[in-house]
Amino acid sequence: MSFGRTPNISTFNSTPPDRGSFPLDHEGECKQLVKEYLQCLKDNLGNNGNCRHLSKAYLKCRMNKGLMVPDEMKNLGFHDEETNDNKDK
Amino acid sequence: MYTTAVLIFGIGFTYASAPLYRIFCQTTGFSGTPMTGTSTINPNRLVPSKNSRRIKVTFNADTSRALNWSFTPQQREVCVLPGETSLAFYTAKNESNKDIIGMATYNVTPSKVAPYFNKIQCFCFEEQMLGAGEQIDMPVFFFIDPEIENDPLMKDVDTVTLSYTFFKAKYDDNGTLIPIPA
Repeated sequence: MSFGRTPNISTFNSTPPDRGSFPLDHEGECKQLVKEYLQCLKDNLGNNGNCRHLSKAYLKCRMNKGLMVPDEMKNLGFHDEETNDNKDK
Repeated sequence: MYTTAVLIFGIGFTYASAPLYRIFCQTTGFSGTPMTGTSTINPNRLVPSKNSRRIKVTFNADTSRALNWSFTPQQREVCVLPGETSLAFYTAKNESNKDIIGMATYNVTPSKVAPYFNKIQCFCFEEQMLGAGEQIDMPVFFFIDPEIENDPLMKDVDTVTLSYTFFKAKYDDNGTLIPIPA
């Protein structure tokens, strides 16, 4: 540990977020879904509830392209709210 | 003899206090340090609590002066229910003509919300390399713990601000990624 460093900069091994860091989408493979989601947020004045299907689609896209560790949607908070989805993944 | 012992203890304690304070902050979420889970989040916590008010989450983006990136949030706000997972995006562009490694840290205000604000996945604390002139979307996947509803101190929380700061980073001689101060 060294001192005299600017405060708030931590070289300590901070525990990462629960699933760590998203790999960067350098190729822009899921960029279209990003645009759709952001447009949905704009149209709904930021109300997340109406745009969750797009979040889900984005995360699915990431999983399909190897930009996210695959997991079941319910572990990511997407329970079968939409009546169409009975079996996720 | 006794004085020496006290002196040594005092010096030792002073040296230990910086890392101890950091550990304390990260464990308890004191002063806005976000809480990051050490275990996988139980999916039962990720159920939107239907009868609550929506909490507005606004976004802030900063970069260190040493880092020639433009970094902005892509949405002004997202209104979420406690327990409802949500996605938000930032865009970063490397404005220079060299590949640069950046590293981001984040903070949540008001500080008292930090223990309830959970990141599932984001782009912080690990290196992110942007090629010269490259622009990239950076997602943050988070939720507010539904337990916030049971905390009377949180009743007045309507808006939460998530702030990200990007620093320029490099590998030091030991191979550790360290930020480069401005």
